Amino acid sequence: MQKDISLIGIGQTKFGEWWGKSLFTLIEEAVDSAIQSAPCSALDIDFIIVANMLAESVNGQAHLGAIASALLPHHPPALRVEAACASGSIAVHTACALLESGRAETVLVVGAEKMTDATSDEIQTALMGAADSEKDAPSGLTFPGIFGLVACRYMHEFGLTREQLNLVSARHHLNAVKNPFAQFRQEMTPEQIGASALVADPLRLLDCSPVSDGAAACILSTKHRSPIRIAASQTSTDSVSIADRPTITSFAATKDAMERALDEANVSTSDIAHLELHDCFSIASLIALEDMGFAEPGEGIRWYEEGKPMTVNASGGLKACGHPVAATGIKQIIDISKQLQASGKTIGLAHNFGGVGATCCIHILQHSPHAHT
Amino acid sequence: MRTPDSPALAARALVRRRSRLLPGTLLSFTTVTHPPKGFPDRPRRIGLIELTDGQRILGMLAGNSAPKIGQVVIPRMHLSRVNPDGLRLYEVTYELTDRMAETATETKEFPGYILAFTGPSGVGKTTISLLLTKMLSDFTSNVPIVTSRAPKKGDDQEYDYVTPKEFERMEKSGALVAWAHLPSDSEERSYGYRKADILAIWEQGKLPVVVTEMQLLQGLAGYFGRRSILSFGLLPPGNSKRTMLSHLLHRLRSRGRETDAQIEERLLNAQADLDYFTRAADLFDHIIVNEDLDAVLHVIKGHVLELAKA
Repeated sequence: MQKDISLIGIGQTKFGEWWGKSLFTLIEEAVDSAIQSAPCSALDIDFIIVANMLAESVNGQAHLGAIASALLPHHPPALRVEAACASGSIAVHTACALLESGRAETVLVVGAEKMTDATSDEIQTALMGAADSEKDAPSGLTFPGIFGLVACRYMHEFGLTREQLNLVSARHHLNAVKNPFAQFRQEMTPEQIGASALVADPLRLLDCSPVSDGAAACILSTKHRSPIRIAASQTSTDSVSIADRPTITSFAATKDAMERALDEANVSTSDIAHLELHDCFSIASLIALEDMGFAEPGEGIRWYEEGKPMTVNASGGLKACGHPVAATGIKQIIDISKQLQASGKTIGLAHNFGGVGATCCIHILQHSPHAHT
Repeated sequence: MRTPDSPALAARALVRRRSRLLPGTLLSFTTVTHPPKGFPDRPRRIGLIELTDGQRILGMLAGNSAPKIGQVVIPRMHLSRVNPDGLRLYEVTYELTDRMAETATETKEFPGYILAFTGPSGVGKTTISLLLTKMLSDFTSNVPIVTSRAPKKGDDQEYDYVTPKEFERMEKSGALVAWAHLPSDSEERSYGYRKADILAIWEQGKLPVVVTEMQLLQGLAGYFGRRSILSFGLLPPGNSKRTMLSHLLHRLRSRGRETDAQIEERLLNAQADLDYFTRAADLFDHIIVNEDLDAVLHVIKGHVLELAKA
């Protein structure tokens, strides 16, 4: 990073079905708690970046930059970014660019999604916007369908069994029991995962992250200091349609972003104590572990079969925390910062992607308890 | 909200449909229990398929048996749905066959690049490839065309002549990577490339250069993967199809290799070839008009040196 950027404030709503709250209320709640946790006042914020994917199609609301800006007394400049499910991390990446350039000194980033206002048909169609509308959608595919193709191919290539795959969501549900912000805080046995309804063969309901409402916000600053700094922020892209890829059991954008992030932070995979990865579908966790270099191809499942020192989705991940699309990338960064502060360890990593890994954004956080002033 | 069956989308899908009417190999499949709005509300089986021309597509699978990865699928037209305005929407679905494809295409490694020149008879493919391999003999080498037809006056050294029987034997034994039987009244013509020739050129660290036509190009892309082919389409100069064809006629007559009957037939084929440039645009990386030979060679040389550097 060209400047020393600290994460000085964090806040989020509990993810879930919030029938009584609007998109605006969710944003307000997350922003309020982020400002309250920060060592500065709201007036120090000199730029706002809003992450959102679906508001136009689902909530009939565009222009979210100005909406978020109206929450603060001095109406700082604001913009909105979108990169499907990677919107949240891309917003943080954009904030880092503003901070590095010197255009801003303290930036508020907020990601929000209000999904339960729409019927499941509408949500399904809206989410397909993250895929290729001319190559993928006309075949009648849904997003679970695309990952169904990925899972089917993965099982064929590496011999992964349904019983093994059950372990992934079961672990994430177990982790979420301790997370007060998670949508589903109940334990699920591997048998329950394997017995849930088929959504897109071989994927079942409990392989899929849910439809959720929620918002998450954080404040980044080059002016104010905190024990958590951003050591790397890297993003990479790939073709949007899986029909344009040479392989569907590995995502090139994850590999590329990871390589550059490790390089930027000057750390290696063995330094990482906490990992939050993008488990929009159970199979995606295994591929992410492999693409990031934590496992050989086909062996990502070992992280769920054996005990390992690094924590993976200690928050419960997308599966159990819920996945209000654009809030997720910011929520992951919030979780990593909390985990580092709780464990006293130094390095944590958040991995967030959009579509079928067509946009990947990786952040590495560094915790130095006594360094800041 | 835009639905998958809006008239404009359907019209664009219609254009793409033609290039999808090919058999292929199943790479993966899934059954979507609840398809999106606008599709029949029953489980829908969808496959990721690699077609024989190397392109990958997503399409609906038909047939009662359980699909298997690696299975050969064949296309057929299918009434997909009737939209609320009564527009009947057809699409290509892929029927599962009993056969398994010989190679698992996805795990195939990237073998290297092949330089391909495609274009109608008389456009100057052979001239360009011969000049290029002379100019860049350190980087490129011509792949001989194996043919069952008799040698002709005016042939350059590009052909390797075999008997029709020998050609058939090579085709069956898998010695050829791509072949085409061109139907003809005046002569029996089969053309192909030997696998061994291409591998030998790669082993020397050079780029194989093939002079090809549509079927052979499709075959090559199917065998080595589309990404292996750096494909140049060559067009005769002219703003309309008619002027292009008259250019070709002029060149074919002046090289004096073919009889009048053969020329007439080649022109008929050339018409189809010109259509192919738009129909199978995916198969070409660059379309070049062969008006000024030096300029064309300069452009191609640039691309080759870039590849050689990489």
